[in-house]
Amino acid sequence: MPLQISHLANFTPPASTRTWQSQPHPTLPLLATASSDKTVRIYSLTSFNLITTLSGGHKRSIRSVAWQPALRKGDAVLATGSFDASAGIWKKHYSGDAVESLNHGIVSTDENDNDEDDDDDDGEYAFTVLLDGHESEIKSLAFAPSSRLLATCSRDKSVWIWEELDDDNWETMAVLSEHDGDVKCVAWHPAEDLLASASYDDTIRLYKEDVDDWEQVAVIQGHKATVWCVTFEGADLPGLKATPSEELSQAQRDFLIQRAASGPRLLSASDDLSIRIWRREPPADDANAARNTGVPSIIRSSNIDETWLEEAQFPGTHTRAVYSASWSTTSGLVVSAGSDGMIVVYKEQWKSGAEEDVGTEWTVVASIEAAHGVFEVNHVVWAKRWDKGRRSEDEEVIVSTGDDGEVKVWTLEEAVGG
Amino acid sequence: MDPNKDNANPTILNPSDLPSRRKGDAISNREDGGTGLFDGLVPTYSYLSDPFDVPPSPTSSEEDSPEAIDEQEIYDLISTISDPEHPLSLGSLAVVNLPDIHITPPTSSRSLISTVTVEITPTITHCSLATVIGLGVRVRLEQALPPRFRVDVRIKKGTHSTDEAVNKQLGDKERVAAALENGTLMGVLRKMLATCE
Repeated sequence: MPLQISHLANFTPPASTRTWQSQPHPTLPLLATASSDKTVRIYSLTSFNLITTLSGGHKRSIRSVAWQPALRKGDAVLATGSFDASAGIWKKHYSGDAVESLNHGIVSTDENDNDEDDDDDDGEYAFTVLLDGHESEIKSLAFAPSSRLLATCSRDKSVWIWEELDDDNWETMAVLSEHDGDVKCVAWHPAEDLLASASYDDTIRLYKEDVDDWEQVAVIQGHKATVWCVTFEGADLPGLKATPSEELSQAQRDFLIQRAASGPRLLSASDDLSIRIWRREPPADDANAARNTGVPSIIRSSNIDETWLEEAQFPGTHTRAVYSASWSTTSGLVVSAGSDGMIVVYKEQWKSGAEEDVGTEWTVVASIEAAHGVFEVNHVVWAKRWDKGRRSEDEEVIVSTGDDGEVKVWTLEEAVGG
Repeated sequence: MDPNKDNANPTILNPSDLPSRRKGDAISNREDGGTGLFDGLVPTYSYLSDPFDVPPSPTSSEEDSPEAIDEQEIYDLISTISDPEHPLSLGSLAVVNLPDIHITPPTSSRSLISTVTVEITPTITHCSLATVIGLGVRVRLEQALPPRFRVDVRIKKGTHSTDEAVNKQLGDKERVAAALENGTLMGVLRKMLATCE
């Protein structure tokens, strides 16, 4: 293993009860953490200190959080999904000065705000909308990259898609009831309005809008137990690109062209202890031809269906359920964590061996046990590094969230002697 | 016969026949000379505030292991849980049985995690309360055991018509967490657990 995972910091103060999930803001140095104490803590990724706590919006545990892709610089719009079956939208706008302060780790806490009450947009996050509709606990939510669509999923077996028609006006766009069990996780494709959901029924399902209706376009079977997590690869397919193309064989170059036609892949983590990667079959030429015949399709066109195939399984490192995995959009590395308390980092590499056997394989490049002591790790995610120790503009850290209430930051280091 | 009960006439064991360390019976008893088979398997972690982290008694094993937890202790924690529909304990109904409790030590030297597996035997094969009983056992153990224990509660194979579905529910951390925020269900569980000392 050429790398090692080093503990950098804990966010302080932590929650005293189970924390479920943490999400870095897409552009600001903010981290939002969902907690079973019914609050969200927003921490600085620069100083690792608490900035503010969002409370009063939910009656039960907050299970998940998602930041809306910012429409303007300084926008901080957070969606919260709760066991109380509702989702909330919280808003704040950081002025140019406030963004500067955040970037330099100058945390203006709520108390400070009262002292220097000169900037009205340094106030608290406003709870602006309550999205009601699910019958039972919301497990996960995610904003589409286009930013105006929000997907939520629940133990009621359904996935809802909400559309923001204008500011704070959200409308139900679709209710998708394809799963036979709790829907544990939703994730959007980074470039298309394509949604994936993972479930207690052991399947992953994908949905797309066809004319005016959202339809299921694929079912992925293969996991042998609950699928806890799905997430897509970054839009520009990082990772293998790191190899200069002149060092690749013709077959490897062809392989990359084929892969680019498939687009970003899907990563899933499951209670069956496995982590898998799924690849979309590129649309066949005859399907393209059929689409261009000009015949109006009265019934639902079949050509929106997609076929997703299992491309890889990661080396089996985890000994208990894998709750979370995250795919770096910068480095292409994958990190996973779960009930066994381990954090594991994997890298994709070209298969060594025969010229005709072109392909890739995933290997473990770093791992750490007991990341949260004896506690389970519920979530792990890559985040841009913002603190003073940052070594390069695109350096990333790993943020892990555990049953002990702690949220921890980890760096990847070159192993000593490696 | 009460027609409202799933099993109105269950088999009840005599309390004196239930496994117990207190009566000094055949069960291994580490206080009496170090026959505790699992004493050495459970490592100690000083940094945790651990309710079982009591000072070792003078006669405990030479390894000075202060917090060995064995199957009998697990049994003692859960056998006193009340059945949700009979005024009887899960031990006396033979829903929980000592031979169906297993402790797995950490899988590697660096891991800190031990696993407790409890297989429960519903009184009849279609007992609709199997999930609630299993949940009660899981909650009792999660509250009483130090956090280094992972608790797996299952229906004993072949004793229930929908054992796989029940097992899946009992193994789902998120469902269990949500269930504990459900007032009605918590009321039932509180009543079941009220008889645990």
